[in-house]
Amino acid sequence: MDDYLVGVLSNIGIVSFIALSAWLLLLTGEISFGQQAFFAIGAYAAGIATALWGWPLGAALGWSAAIAGGAAVLVGVPTLRLHGLYFAIATLGFAEMVRLLFEQFHYRVMIDGELVGPNGSDGFRGIRYIFENDVGSLQFLALIYLLLAAALAGFMLLERSRLGVAFRMIGEDDTLAALNGLAVARLKILAAGLAGALAGLGGGLYAHLTTYVEPRVFDVMLGVHSLAYGLIGGLGTALGPLLGVVIDIGLLESVRAFAGYRMIVFGGLVAVLLIVRPRGLLDEALVHRIGRLFVRAPPAGP
Amino acid sequence: MVDLVQNTIDGLMIGSSYGLLALGFTLIFGVMRRLNLSYGPSVMVGAYLGTLVYVQLAAGPLVVLVVTVLGSVLAGLYVERLCFAPMAAGAGVASMVSSFAIWMQLEQAAVLVLPRHTYPFPPLATADPLAFGPFYLRVDGLIMLACALALSAGVQLLLYRSRVGLALRATINNPVAAHLAGIDVRTAVVFAFALASAVGGIAGYLVLATDQQVTPMFGMWATFKGLIAMMIGGLGSIPGAILGGLVLGVVEANSQWYFGPQVRDLLAYVLLFACLVLRPGGLLGEAPSRQQDTGRRGA
Amino acid sequence: MFEVSDIVATYGKIEALKGVSLKVESGKITCLLGPNGAGKTTLMMTIAGILQPRRGAIRLDGMDLAGLSPARIVSRGVALVPENRLVFPQMSVRENLLAGAYQRRDRAGIDSDIDRMYARFPRLKERREQMAGTLSGGEQQMLAVARALMSRPRLLLMDEPSLGLAPLIVAEIFEIIAELNRDGTTIFLVEQNAHMALKVAHQFFLMEQGRITFSGTPGQLAEDEVIQRAYLGSRRAAG
Repeated sequence: MDDYLVGVLSNIGIVSFIALSAWLLLLTGEISFGQQAFFAIGAYAAGIATALWGWPLGAALGWSAAIAGGAAVLVGVPTLRLHGLYFAIATLGFAEMVRLLFEQFHYRVMIDGELVGPNGSDGFRGIRYIFENDVGSLQFLALIYLLLAAALAGFMLLERSRLGVAFRMIGEDDTLAALNGLAVARLKILAAGLAGALAGLGGGLYAHLTTYVEPRVFDVMLGVHSLAYGLIGGLGTALGPLLGVVIDIGLLESVRAFAGYRMIVFGGLVAVLLIVRPRGLLDEALVHRIGRLFVRAPPAGP
Repeated sequence: MVDLVQNTIDGLMIGSSYGLLALGFTLIFGVMRRLNLSYGPSVMVGAYLGTLVYVQLAAGPLVVLVVTVLGSVLAGLYVERLCFAPMAAGAGVASMVSSFAIWMQLEQAAVLVLPRHTYPFPPLATADPLAFGPFYLRVDGLIMLACALALSAGVQLLLYRSRVGLALRATINNPVAAHLAGIDVRTAVVFAFALASAVGGIAGYLVLATDQQVTPMFGMWATFKGLIAMMIGGLGSIPGAILGGLVLGVVEANSQWYFGPQVRDLLAYVLLFACLVLRPGGLLGEAPSRQQDTGRRGA
Repeated sequence: MFEVSDIVATYGKIEALKGVSLKVESGKITCLLGPNGAGKTTLMMTIAGILQPRRGAIRLDGMDLAGLSPARIVSRGVALVPENRLVFPQMSVRENLLAGAYQRRDRAGIDSDIDRMYARFPRLKERREQMAGTLSGGEQQMLAVARALMSRPRLLLMDEPSLGLAPLIVAEIFEIIAELNRDGTTIFLVEQNAHMALKVAHQFFLMEQGRITFSGTPGQLAEDEVIQRAYLGSRRAAG
């Protein structure tokens, strides 16, 4: 595989994590413009762990998921009673706060005669774990997709579990869900924490793929894109946000013919798509229909 | 103390433009109960058309203003037609994401027409600032403040004293009942978009004429300043929108002076977050109710 | 005369109205009975233009109303008092009445009609500057009726005007219905409270599962054994 293709595939894989993160919250009925905050926290946490503390990559990725998930739980508590636009704007405010705090964040350590670590708005350079440990770009690509596959497997299990049903119930109508005996507050915070951990894991991978992170990458545009992926790809299955990412990054990167008109074409297509399929390509109805094709067992053979 | 007062004066002036943007937002949100992320970018399209006639035809400030406002209205109606009118009831998130996609489209279209990063915008007033003792009042700032107060009073009058205002408020209150009362809800919605875009166009003109330059970032800037000011002031309230804008302007001007631009932005978002968590209805707005949930199927 | 013929309307994929035909005589009170989910509200919303029929005709004195916008239908002389008294909660009583006259342009006529509404509903006059959302249920129902009358309808549609109201208020509402009819308004109402309806209505229709299954006078209605059991029940339950 050529480097370009590996690069595009790696990007698709990593952005899928934050898209899944926003999608999980959509499942519970909340719009978040702020999942990039947890992506950023994960990126910084994992980068600091390997570059400054000398941790192995696996531990650093676990740590990035844990600290981003923890942060998401902490934000989840005060924003719990907010809904709709109020919740969306609160997450946007929080994410911008996080980004601007990283612009002020200095934590530099002398390593091998060189100052390494986050340096305010200049960003955090020198996250060289994959070079120092001879991890090839293909190997790293495999790692990204292994983790993504694990996350998807987790979502498949979730969809079949009581927890998945509970999340969708809350998404449909949280008052009704509470009347049916669901601990809505706890479940919402759990969803926020899981979504934060997913975004954090993606951030940890991102920091090691690019070897440097800058606060301005984690702006609102990243957040709104992540949210849009789920809606373009479809709300019916965890594959929806992935499809959204593939359409945006994969398709449009490869069709260079659009060049300067890319967003004009893409923007118009998305608008038309959402008129025809307001819950995305793979919406609940379609997923249900496809699911029945597989469940309906063929008649017993001879 | 002198600094604080001077900063507050400057903040009130720039804040009045935030207030106008918030006013447009609150009108659209009022009738649609949906978020129009393309609000700022449609104003930017107007501003780019204004810049085009200024750069290419050397048009005077008045022509630039008219073109900016008309362009904003046309772009606003385009967004309404594509992202809001055809969406089914309950597809609030789809409208919002669609308006985001159209934002990207409008931004790229603007850059295709005027590809440089910045373009000059005709100044509003080149007179020297007025001195009052130790304080200075910028003339363009005063014009901005006066326009904001006059426009918001005008919109308030329109809403509460005119037939079309009655139709708009009835639609905001209860669209089904408005239909049954014989109100043409579709026309009311289109009118709300046109009015909001015109107000946004005027705000955009005033801001850009003060800065004397325009960049493609203006669309995003306008959307987020308007959104933050609206949420601080309180959703659905016209005086709240203006007040939210003024508060945001004053906080920004002072924090910029005392702590620099990065802390200014940080404090603006801290203020927004604190407002939402502690007082979700904003300073003057209605308390949030379930009907305002843009994200829900029933919305 | 108002006439609905062979109306089919769907809610998503569910056929809510499966070919409904009925006639409402001018100057009379016609009542539509039926269980929950029979399609009564769907029929009302379709006549008012909120829902579009799949097929069929809706005619008022020969004019076809099917497919028109709700605003057009109001201006043709049909006004609906919706279920659950939808008022404009953050507008004053007076503004609610003004909104009801939205299709009219005669300022003087509108003002005198508002005064007539205040005379007919004195409690609305007392509360004219109050926000409609702060009124009691009965007052909101009266406001909803008054708002519909402000368009000077030739046909007044009412969807369960007694729903959720205390018995005394229900009696008052029905008194108003009879009074409006005596003044010449044609009324077509949906009602579950068959006993109250029997006192005022001249003609009855019964709707079940999207179809009209009975039509007749109050006398015929009272004689029909099935309806007796289902809708009138034992006399003891009468409100």
